[in-house]
Amino acid sequence: MALLEVKNIRKNFGKTEVLKGIDFSMEKGDVVAIIGSSGSGKTTLLRCLNFLETPDVGTISLDGKVIFNGENHKQLSDAEVRKNRLHFGLVFQSFNLFPQYNVKRNLTLAAELLEFEKIKNSTSEYADKKQASEAISRKADELLRQVGLSEKEKSFPCELSGGQQQRVAIARALALEPDVLCFDEPTSALDPELTGEVLRVIKELKNTNKTMIVVTHEMEFAKNVADTIIYMADGVIEEMGSAQEVFENPKSEKLKSFLKSSFEKI
Amino acid sequence: MSFAEQFPIVFNALNVGFLQTLKLFAVTLLGALPLGLVISFGSMSRFKIVNSVVKTFVWIIRGTPLMLQLLIIYYLPGLAFGNPIWGGGEEGRFAASAVAFIINYSCYFSEIYRGGIQGVPVGQQEAGQVLGLSKSQIFFKITLLQMVKRIVPPMSNEIITLVKDTSLARIIALQEVIWAGYAFMKGSQGIAGQIWPLFFTGVYYLVFSGILTILFNKVEKKLSYFKV
Amino acid sequence: MKKILALVMAALLMCLSFAGCSKIDPAKDVENIKEKGKIVVGITEFAPMDYKEKGSTEWIGFDADMAKKFAEELGVEVEFQLIDWNNKIMELQNGTIDCVWNGMTLTDEVKAGMSCSVPYCINSQVVVVKAADADKYQTAEACKGLKFAVEEGSAGEDMAKENGFEYTAVADMATALAEVKSGTSDAAIIDSLMAGAMIGEGTSYEDLTYTAKLNNEEYGVGFRVGSNLVDEFNAFLEKATADGTVENIAKTYGVQEAIVK
Repeated sequence: MALLEVKNIRKNFGKTEVLKGIDFSMEKGDVVAIIGSSGSGKTTLLRCLNFLETPDVGTISLDGKVIFNGENHKQLSDAEVRKNRLHFGLVFQSFNLFPQYNVKRNLTLAAELLEFEKIKNSTSEYADKKQASEAISRKADELLRQVGLSEKEKSFPCELSGGQQQRVAIARALALEPDVLCFDEPTSALDPELTGEVLRVIKELKNTNKTMIVVTHEMEFAKNVADTIIYMADGVIEEMGSAQEVFENPKSEKLKSFLKSSFEKI
Repeated sequence: MSFAEQFPIVFNALNVGFLQTLKLFAVTLLGALPLGLVISFGSMSRFKIVNSVVKTFVWIIRGTPLMLQLLIIYYLPGLAFGNPIWGGGEEGRFAASAVAFIINYSCYFSEIYRGGIQGVPVGQQEAGQVLGLSKSQIFFKITLLQMVKRIVPPMSNEIITLVKDTSLARIIALQEVIWAGYAFMKGSQGIAGQIWPLFFTGVYYLVFSGILTILFNKVEKKLSYFKV
Repeated sequence: MKKILALVMAALLMCLSFAGCSKIDPAKDVENIKEKGKIVVGITEFAPMDYKEKGSTEWIGFDADMAKKFAEELGVEVEFQLIDWNNKIMELQNGTIDCVWNGMTLTDEVKAGMSCSVPYCINSQVVVVKAADADKYQTAEACKGLKFAVEEGSAGEDMAKENGFEYTAVADMATALAEVKSGTSDAAIIDSLMAGAMIGEGTSYEDLTYTAKLNNEEYGVGFRVGSNLVDEFNAFLEKATADGTVENIAKTYGVQEAIVK
């Protein structure tokens, strides 16, 4: 059974139809790269998965359980939406680290707040706040080591380079152990010499069997890392397949011209 | 009467006046800081009626002189409705002044709050959302401090202006420090025709706004460890 | 959010409707004052009419003492309230004071905005110049060409107009004097009672003096338009003049030359 199954997702902004029926599914450990020109609906799709936008129509299922249904989503309480969100993590193009907290606190803040809520409702695996905090702290240390920023745990976001900030943002998203980790053009806001360190971290995550969806303009990266490439154009999935299929044998004219301009060397 | 004899009398009278100034300052802050937040929520409301009523109100209050507002609030009930709700005594004049100042300053504060709230990038809220946080957790743990940092400089400006604006209340005969200074020009407690007490009131304002400036600098410094 | 707004509105309305005291009805001022048990006298600090002795909190002066006598006659307490002189008519109409009793000159403007008593004092407006130049400006004629500072809306301003002086209207008499002292104006017009108290020896204005007397003017007490206190006061004044009360009080403050006999 597929881990994530997306069916017929449609989304309008006013009169503009941004997503015109998106269907795809992915297995645990899959890495999906979504490519396409700007305005094709890639980012909106990611935002729908993370419930930052509410699709007008369609269903999203995880592990066989429907967590979003366009017909009855209004019946969901805030608490349920919050719970569903936790299946997904999102790394933003502009990092969106919390500027007033240091690196370590950026990682532990949400985890602690959520765990403390659980302790209050006696649904936590931890006996008290102290125990929970210690466990969360240990995990944060481990994640910082994983993204290579252990020595920066006390630094504030404004003291880090863009690449470092994005690595912290990735660690922050991982701290909540999402089933699917989404990246929204994670290197677009970075200087060219800093993209490598971020892409390397994402590549290493693949080796730990993380399920990931990456919206990206880095064609080489998509080609090398993704199991599946989704090419979106004008709100629909124009082509989908393995890297080889999509990059070597593009079928549609749209994809051909998109690839041609993307790989064009000056 | 020599200066040495005059000084303690004047000093005493100015202290009494400045106490009134401080009282008006403190009461205005106490009332206008929270009321301003309420008004700023109103001006950002999605309900069109609330939104336009609040915006019109803010426009009227910011678009007319505070001195005129003082006169209207104190005199209009008696003049227009034959019902002098404030009474003629000191307390009534202070209450009317406080109401006028609170209304006026809450409108200015509301705009500062609005700038502070809207200035926090929407990405901060979204980052909180995707981490599963509730609306109140996002407000208190993420946006609030960033908002505070943004509003400290314009707020300190406005609050220092308030210190000096309190002198406007003497238009409805609130006996604040400038009034007390003028009294010795006109003649008071055996001292008449003295100009220096009025000028001396400047020292009070300078010292007080100096203290406030130091305080606000401390707050700014405290919040300087991060950038928004 | 909307609830909070509604609450604030409701609270404001409640204040307006409940906090009110008695309605204003000038024809029943005497009765209302007796019911309240006090008369509120609007004043500015102005020696020798209304002032406080050094270190004292009690209002004294020719006007203040007379006001106390008048209150006694009515059988009520007297409350002195400092007001902004520019707002005296508003204060009366607003019901926040019951009379203006503060060496007030009975000008046309005053008579138009209040119901006034008969005069109880005769005063005059005088020209104030630097003492060094006093010899040159002994008559109104000689003062032509000087730049004057006068209190806005005062009898002094009327005099400046009448004599065709070039003048600047300033906030009060004290400011007018400060103008002369600092040299921003050549001369000021203030009333002689005030001049006696504010300039010359022992003041900030030792180098100023007063010269030409421009007019004679009358002091009266102002009430709300149509107030029945006017008749009450006039009767009191007649009685107090006849039995020597007025003269006694006047002598205490050195204004016996000015009272109306």
